[in-house]
Parts: sequence; C-alpha cells; structure tokens
Amino acid sequence: MVIVQRKELTFAERLYLPEIFRGLSITFSKFFEKPITRQYPEEPLPTDEVTRGQPRLVVKDDGNIACVSCGMCEIACPAYAITIDGGETDRQIEREPKRFEIDMLRCILCGFCEEACPKDAIFMSNELELADTTRRGLVYDLEKLKRPKSALQPRIDYVYRINKRWRSKQP
Amino acid sequence: MDVPQPLIWIAKIVVIFGGLVGTAALMSLAERKVSAWMQYRIGPNRVGPFGLLQPLADGIKFIFKEELIPAGANKFMFRLAPALSAAPAMLTMAVIPIGGTAVIAGREIPLSIADVDIGVLFLLAFSGLSIYGVILGGWASNSKYSLLGGLRASAQMISYELTLILTILAVVALEGTLNLRAISENQASIGQWNIWTQPLAFVLFTITMFAETNRHPFDFAECEPELVGGFHTEYSAMRFALYFLGEYCAMTVLSCLNATLFLGGPSVPFWPEAPWFIGVAAFCLKAGFFLFLFLWVRWSLPRMRFDQLMRLGWKVFLPLALANLLVTGAFISFGAH
Repeated sequence: MVIVQRKELTFAERLYLPEIFRGLSITFSKFFEKPITRQYPEEPLPTDEVTRGQPRLVVKDDGNIACVSCGMCEIACPAYAITIDGGETDRQIEREPKRFEIDMLRCILCGFCEEACPKDAIFMSNELELADTTRRGLVYDLEKLKRPKSALQPRIDYVYRINKRWRSKQP
Repeated sequence: MDVPQPLIWIAKIVVIFGGLVGTAALMSLAERKVSAWMQYRIGPNRVGPFGLLQPLADGIKFIFKEELIPAGANKFMFRLAPALSAAPAMLTMAVIPIGGTAVIAGREIPLSIADVDIGVLFLLAFSGLSIYGVILGGWASNSKYSLLGGLRASAQMISYELTLILTILAVVALEGTLNLRAISENQASIGQWNIWTQPLAFVLFTITMFAETNRHPFDFAECEPELVGGFHTEYSAMRFALYFLGEYCAMTVLSCLNATLFLGGPSVPFWPEAPWFIGVAAFCLKAGFFLFLFLWVRWSLPRMRFDQLMRLGWKVFLPLALANLLVTGAFISFGAH
C-alpha cells in the first residue's frame, strides 16, 4: 500500500495567477525558437549510405549491367517482388536478363536481394520516393532500375565494409 | 461637396463590420500560427504569403462542403442556432468606439457605428443572447454530446456573466455613465486609465472574458475528450463555420470592450493630442493584445474540471466582484476618489 502525501499548496500557488504567468512565459519563450518542421517536398529527407532505399541494378563502367540472371535474388525475395527471365548473350558471361522486373508495390525494402547477389549487380539505393497513378507504372523494368555504378558507389563500399566476412574484395 | 450623412453611416458600418469579420477570419489563421510557433512548428504557409489566404481557402471549402442534418433533429432550430450565435456577437461591435473623432476633409466623424447612451447595457444584453445559439444548437441536434455541451455552456456562461456584469458595473459606477464613448474619453491620459483604479476588476474581467467566450481553459462547451465536439458535434459545412465566426467575433468584441473599459480605448500614452488614426492604431494594438492573450492561454494551460470551473465562478469570482463593487461604491459615496 502506498500512501500518497499530497503537497500542501502555498498561498501563491493556490492563487493560480503566478503559476499561470509562469506557464505563459514558458510558451512565450518557445515562440522565437527555430521550428523543427521539415518542409518535405522542398527539403527532402537526408539520406546516406546506410539508407536502405529501393533496389537498383548496377550499370558497370562498360555500359552493361552486372546481372547474370542467376535468380538468387528472385529466390531470396520474401515478398516475391522480383521476376527474371534469363537469356543468352554474346558477352563472355553468356547469360543476361531479358526481363528484370521489381514490383515496387510488393518490395519491402528488406535488402535480401542485395545480400544474395553473387555478382554485385543489385544494391539498395538511397531513392525513397515512390508514386505513380497506375499500378503497372510501379512495376519497374530494366530501364527504370538501371543506375550507373558511380551513383551506387557509397552503398557498395558500405556493404563491403560491414559484410567483409563473405565479401572480401570489390571486383 | 457635402457627403450626405447616410453615406457616412454606411461607410462606417462597412469598415467596422468588415474589420470585425476580417479580424475573426485572421484569428482562425492566427490560432494555428501561434500554436505552431509555440510548438516549434511553422503552421499553415501554403496558401498565399505566410499562409495569409488560408482563411479564404477555408471559407471556400466550408461553403462547398456537404451539409448534414442528423435524423431526429429539429430542423428549424438546427438551422437557426448558428445564426443566433453569430449575429449577437457581431451586433455588439456597433456600440464600441474604435477611435475618437476622425476628421476627414474637414468633417468630424465619431468613430463608432452607434453612439448610444446605454452602450454598456446594449452590449451586455446582446452578448447574453448569444447563449441561445449554443443551447439551441445543442438541443436541436438530437445528440447527447451536443445536449451536454450546450447545457454546460449555458451553465457556465450564466455563472460568469454575473461576474462580468459586476466588474463592468464597478467601472460604470466610477465613470457615472453607460456611454462607452464617454467612458473611453474620460481616460484620455494614461494616468486616468481605469486599470489603475480598478485593478481587481480588470483581472476578473480578463479571466471572465475567457469563460464568456467558451475559450480555453474554460471551453467546456466543446470539451473534446468528453463531449466529442460539444454543442457543435453534429454541425458541418458553413453552419459549423458560423459558430466559429461567432466565437471569434465574440472574442474580438470582448477584447475591444476590455481595451475600452480598462485601457483607455484609443488614448495613446504620453501623447494626448495624437491624431485620430494613431488613436485607432493604439486601440487595435490594445485589443490585439487581448486577442493574442486568448491564443496564448489556449496553447499554454490545461483545461479545468467542470466542478472547478463552477466553484471558481460562484465561490471566488462572484464574491470578489461583489466586494470590489462594494469598495468602489463606498469610495464614491464618501467622495474619496
């Protein structure tokens, strides 16, 4: 059992007015402080290498994507968001995706595809904004997923740094 | 060329009434801006510069919203109530002198719509009427929240009206007139302001102002956690806006009244022969301070409990106001003021 000892109020406190003025002065002092509001569309969210945004395909410096359509990411994807149709290519790697689609409405941005990829072909970008007027428009195909390697480089470096157990050196 | 007198009357009505409604509209924006600034936010800033056109956007939205009338509501009363709440609040502005005498093109124009000898009485009578809108709206909605809100509001406004009238009475007794223009002219210099002779009445009036207009911390009529929206729970669209317009108009009028009764109305401190427009500006500043106080208090203090409100009204404010009146009366009759 707890016996609560109620504090006896002093006369000034029971008069209310001094305490009211104290309260008013507190709110008034906040009046001139800098607002913490971020005006979103004009001031976008700050992102960095840790940001796990939407997955994107790396376009190597020679202009080709690194993907060999092995299907690891497709299997790793817990939301079944990735669809790959592989095909042959004359390049030395022999296989490349003819169709590579990520349904952004299904994607949960978990990053499993990034971990699963044996060829460093898919990485989580810092792109977070996702809007369209149709569902079909949010199924991203190869052209919408391609990003130059330079744009994803900070994320690639970061992944190598934290996952050095199974990623020893960058190609 | 001589401008006919009716034209001057119409011009005065348009300017003062427009100013009142404009102030009420701006207050709806100021409410959100002030609350935002006090909470490290920015507030509405999308419509127009600094969000200044927000009231206009709100007005357009209110007009085009669907009007819902609940089943079982008394339709006639339901439609009438918001007007009954807003109209008296606007009418009372007619007797408030917003300035001394303007001199435009050699013509002297007293700056109030109606310069009546029973100004204080008129104002009190009409501000007492605005309670009908609240209680009728609450009753006609056929909703228990509305009814309870309306009942609470009426109980509260009646209790606090007594204190309000008694504090005004002390000033009236001191000035010996019910004419608001005469009262404000009697306080021409800062030493003659009634706040010095009636400090207790000033404090009581300022606090009672909040209860009279159902504003925080006395806003039991629309106490959200208990009564959803209080008396206007069932209202929507323009009729809902009308309640708010009435509330803001009542706030504006009471702020003006406070400035007139206690702060000398349009008198400028240490500048007795200031031109009339400076006087109007001073009046607006004084009234504006009280309007700001309404918002300031709303975003600082918690709401009281209803029994605390009643106890404060009947057991503290009423005896204080009576004692104040008694002391004032004693001073006047023994000729010591």
